[in-house]
Amino acid sequence: MKIFGKKKSTAQVLTIEPSKNSGSMATKQVRYEALVKALHSDLYRYAYWLTHDKQVSEDLVQETFLRAWRALDSLKDEKAAKSWLITILRRENARRFERKRFDMSEYEEETVMDTQSTSTEQVIENQWLRDKIAQLPPEYSEPLVLQVLGGYSGDDIANMLNLNKNTVMTRLFRARNQLKDALEKEPEKMKFFHEL
Amino acid sequence: MTESNTPINKMDDLQFRRSIYADPSSLDEDIIAAQDADPAKKQLAHDLRLFDEKLKQAMNVPVPDDLCDKLLLRQTLASHQQEKRKSRVHLALAASVAIIAGLVVNYLQFSSTYTNLGDYALAHVYHEDFHNDDSNRVNLTTLNNKMTTFNASFTDSLGELISADYCRFDGMKSLHLVFQGLTDTVAVFVIPKEDHLTFTDKFSDSKLQGESIGFKDTDIIVVADKNESIASWQRNIKDKISWSNN
Repeated sequence: MKIFGKKKSTAQVLTIEPSKNSGSMATKQVRYEALVKALHSDLYRYAYWLTHDKQVSEDLVQETFLRAWRALDSLKDEKAAKSWLITILRRENARRFERKRFDMSEYEEETVMDTQSTSTEQVIENQWLRDKIAQLPPEYSEPLVLQVLGGYSGDDIANMLNLNKNTVMTRLFRARNQLKDALEKEPEKMKFFHEL
Repeated sequence: MTESNTPINKMDDLQFRRSIYADPSSLDEDIIAAQDADPAKKQLAHDLRLFDEKLKQAMNVPVPDDLCDKLLLRQTLASHQQEKRKSRVHLALAASVAIIAGLVVNYLQFSSTYTNLGDYALAHVYHEDFHNDDSNRVNLTTLNNKMTTFNASFTDSLGELISADYCRFDGMKSLHLVFQGLTDTVAVFVIPKEDHLTFTDKFSDSKLQGESIGFKDTDIIVVADKNESIASWQRNIKDKISWSNN
């Protein structure tokens, strides 16, 4: 199972803390490559839960990193790199919505596939949960992804989403509450969650 | 258990539920204390943390293997494009500079820097880096061949002619004759009449003096040092020149 490596990523990025001459092309290249390697998975997954579409997620991540490259000199604190990238990605996603509000495809269930080496039961369970997460209203799923996947605190999420903390906590509560409700409506699924 | 505790506990339950649902891994002291005090709460928190593990597992969708390479490649291409754009800008700049330089040279070469014949004639003589070490002298036939351009010829030699060459006299095709004078060379310019240079009869500076005679379509200017009698040169020219079309 892949562990969402926040701490590891941060440490990796920290080792390439910009030197005094962060403007030099070579240094910039090194910083950029480290950022891509450390954070592209996180960014992709975040994009995926934002868009529910693999191809769109890839495009979004590409666009995000391209913008990041152009603005790399403005990133002073490497520890903030991930939230900085997420902010760029959210902005890009909003742009995408403005551009193609009309040909936005509906959430397609077949795009969600699991190729991870997990047991059959886990595959079914993951699949079921992914569907349920995808069905959450975006204003609930977004903070949930940031908290569970990104490991961000309520304060961090409030900052990133430009919301106050109480709103974020309420949405997180509702997100889990809805998922639990869904779980209780399908008693045969309960089995998986209580067996473990 | 006192009655007053019940409503507070109930509110605590609700608050706890909201808080633990919002953040199952909360390290808030009150939340942890509440869990320690109530096994049911502890169990709920535990269940939710397990549930979060499930969620995390589900959210960890597979990342395309080649995404990282794609991102690095795309950036390399993008900055290459940027470099190309930059070099195109440089090329354009260089081209502009070259064009402007060309225009300036053209302007300097063909434009009228001098407003009258005299000034220009003086400048021309000073500019001429003339080497009087050539023993070949120009004979009258050769001179008259060149004079045909101006529809004129000389009936007799004017003196020792060191050189006779076409030159650009302020952008006009002219004949520049250099004679041996008393102490130095004497320059004679045969130039077509032009409007943009004011005809100056006599002119001089600290070293040289000069005089122009205007003919019908042509001006003849004599420039020499102060030892020379310009007037006699002029007379000599007037006497010996003949125009073929008048």
